[in-house]
Amino acid sequence: MQTRKPRKKSNTLPLLLIASPGIFYLIVNSYLPMFGVFLAFKDFNYFKGIFGSEWNGFENFRFLFRTRDALVMTRNTLAYNAVFIVLGTAAAVLVAVLMFELGKKRRVRLFQSALLLPNLLSWVVIGFIGYAYLNADTGFINKTVYKALGLPAVSWYSTPGPWPFILVLVHLWKVTGLSSVIYMASISGIDKGIFEAAQLDGATKLQQIVRITIPMLKPTIIILTLMAIGRIFYSDFGLFYQVPQNSGRLFDVTQTIDTYVYRGLMERNDVGMSAAAALYQSLVGFLLVLSANALVRKLNPENALF
Amino acid sequence: MKPIKRLFLLLLGLVLTLSLVQGVFAQSKQYDQVTYAYATFNNIPTTEALAGVEEAINQITREKISTEVKLVPIVIWEYSSQVSLALQGGEKLDVFQSLGDFNTAISTGMCVDLTDMLDNYAPESKDLIGEAWLAATSFEGKVYGIPTYKPIALTPMVIYRKDIADALGLDMSAVNHVNDVTEVLRKVKAAYPEMTPLAAVNTGNIGIGLTVPNVDYLTDSYFSPKGVLMNDELKVVDFYASDEFAAVTQLARTWYNEDLVMKDAATTASAAAELMASGNYFCYIASYSYPEVDTAASLEAQAGGYPLGAKIIGSAFLDTSSINALSWMVSSTSKVPEAALKFLNLTFTDKEIVNLLIYGLEGRDYVVNDDGTVRYPDGQDASTVPYTAQLSVGTLGNFFIMHSLQGTNSESLAWELEQNKNAKTSVAMGFTFDSTPVKTEYTAVVNVIEQFLPGLVCGSADPETDIPLFLQRLSEAGLDEIIAEKQAQLDHWLANK
Repeated sequence: MQTRKPRKKSNTLPLLLIASPGIFYLIVNSYLPMFGVFLAFKDFNYFKGIFGSEWNGFENFRFLFRTRDALVMTRNTLAYNAVFIVLGTAAAVLVAVLMFELGKKRRVRLFQSALLLPNLLSWVVIGFIGYAYLNADTGFINKTVYKALGLPAVSWYSTPGPWPFILVLVHLWKVTGLSSVIYMASISGIDKGIFEAAQLDGATKLQQIVRITIPMLKPTIIILTLMAIGRIFYSDFGLFYQVPQNSGRLFDVTQTIDTYVYRGLMERNDVGMSAAAALYQSLVGFLLVLSANALVRKLNPENALF
Repeated sequence: MKPIKRLFLLLLGLVLTLSLVQGVFAQSKQYDQVTYAYATFNNIPTTEALAGVEEAINQITREKISTEVKLVPIVIWEYSSQVSLALQGGEKLDVFQSLGDFNTAISTGMCVDLTDMLDNYAPESKDLIGEAWLAATSFEGKVYGIPTYKPIALTPMVIYRKDIADALGLDMSAVNHVNDVTEVLRKVKAAYPEMTPLAAVNTGNIGIGLTVPNVDYLTDSYFSPKGVLMNDELKVVDFYASDEFAAVTQLARTWYNEDLVMKDAATTASAAAELMASGNYFCYIASYSYPEVDTAASLEAQAGGYPLGAKIIGSAFLDTSSINALSWMVSSTSKVPEAALKFLNLTFTDKEIVNLLIYGLEGRDYVVNDDGTVRYPDGQDASTVPYTAQLSVGTLGNFFIMHSLQGTNSESLAWELEQNKNAKTSVAMGFTFDSTPVKTEYTAVVNVIEQFLPGLVCGSADPETDIPLFLQRLSEAGLDEIIAEKQAQLDHWLANK
């Protein structure tokens, strides 16, 4: 009979191997390009190259704060993301709980696929689905719904009012399916014994959900929220650019930092200014994660990310 | 198992060595390697199809200028960013075109100064283009680019459905101004209520901006002017505050209110040809550099095969950007600028090379008719032949030595050359604006223009309320600084002229 030598390494090596493609991806995609940070402080010149170009201090950052747009885009980015975090989490948890309560029937798998489907569509496609609904001349809403209700046609792409609701709705429709999967996985990990004990004590379904499922999900919710806060200064470019069909009349409610940078720099292709915008977004995001985490640690040390 | 493995390794080593040796031999002929990046409006060809064209070009260039050329066709809407990324990333790219970014290319050091090299490596092109045009591609006395040699005088026209105009008995010859179009649109709307008379040219543009005559955009894009010269004055003014702009937006508003123009023109993702092909539209307004008959004939195939007519409704006007918007440049990262310029010279002077670039291989991609015009091989068209860049005719090299596509009139070339010479020229011809000193303001102003301009020129915004707001936002974003900077550069240029 052979005896296996207990090797300490063997515990971590397989895990490291599993994680290695992800780690590799992170290094190549997120760490190597960090050299580009230089460019934010340089007056980039193709001939002189990245290191040879002149330094120009904070000149590249000025355009971000130049006009009233600065206020509008910052407000939009922060407000939309805050709403997305709150409503998105609530919707995802709700869907996860409902799915879990339905058990492991075939129709659950059908619902799940249906919920995941929008996530696989690109924003361009979703933009056109939206266009099919909202087009002023031939759209479904104007041509069918509003006509049946006897309401006058609305020129959707030049009426800013409804857009905050449209954008939130479209965002939830697209992402809820995927984020609920993570919560469903966490729910499956809860010890069945707890539910059985509660049942014996006469707890109703609702009580089980409120007293057991949701508290057990708290760490997951906190981690995912912290990560979302880190990206609060980034916006989903496709959502804010493709879905409103880049309509100028809607900029007051659709302009975010990403779309502003894209529109402003399309014409000039200015490398330094793009780098400045990206650096500004990540720095603010980084500070927000640190402070949100500090807050969590103060309230409940166990749930803090680090 | 082991001997087999060893044998395999040996074989692998042999193959690798052989290919290495082969590589060395191939290199040893010592041709300069030039990479030529051009924009195409057609499909990107497959590698094999492209290789055939490259080989045919190389057979000429090896002999004439001992150079081998690598072709890099890039889709038009990705061109600027792809070229910019390639140059940043140190990819090999020797020749590219400015595509509207003429000054950015100079101020960011993307291209080299060609002044002294022109005489040695591209004398024929220099003579062909002439000093007057080269002035437009110069900055502070140095030549940085060679402008594409083609009909450049853009004339605003109405492109309309001939069958409908005939059926309604419309007299299109009486339409000589954009204001005359209104009556035509009304008649069409009355006869065909289900139809939308006027289509958009592309997103946020129904073509009326360019019908304002005598405007020098001073290096800005036609769709996003920031400080212009109007009516031969040398004073930089705000286009959006002018009476002319107020008049066209008012006209667009009238059309919009009377349902004469498509409602979603400001945001539509469809371009004119596609809209016309749907059969739901009567006409659109755009500027072309070819005669009326040719323009109409060349557009029919894309516009669903309906018979089309064209009517000029304004006059051509030349400013610096009409010439330097499509300039060919040699990149500052090029190791072989001389060879690059020599090849560039051939695209302006060598009939075979330029036709290979545009039409591909004779027999495979096109056939020549008896009258000298060309057509696609039987049963094929622009989208099925292995290689064609036919829609790039006006963007590269010398247009006047290219084959003409079947159906074009041989007298047209004369008309086009005439237009180039006779079109009204701006008082500031040759001046180019460098936006670097005001790039912060520029970026902010672009955003404001994108917000307001499409709605105003497409009629979906009311000029009464929107123009004052637009002007106020522009001023907040720094348009006044841009205008002041433009005036200062213009005065400096005039003083040194």
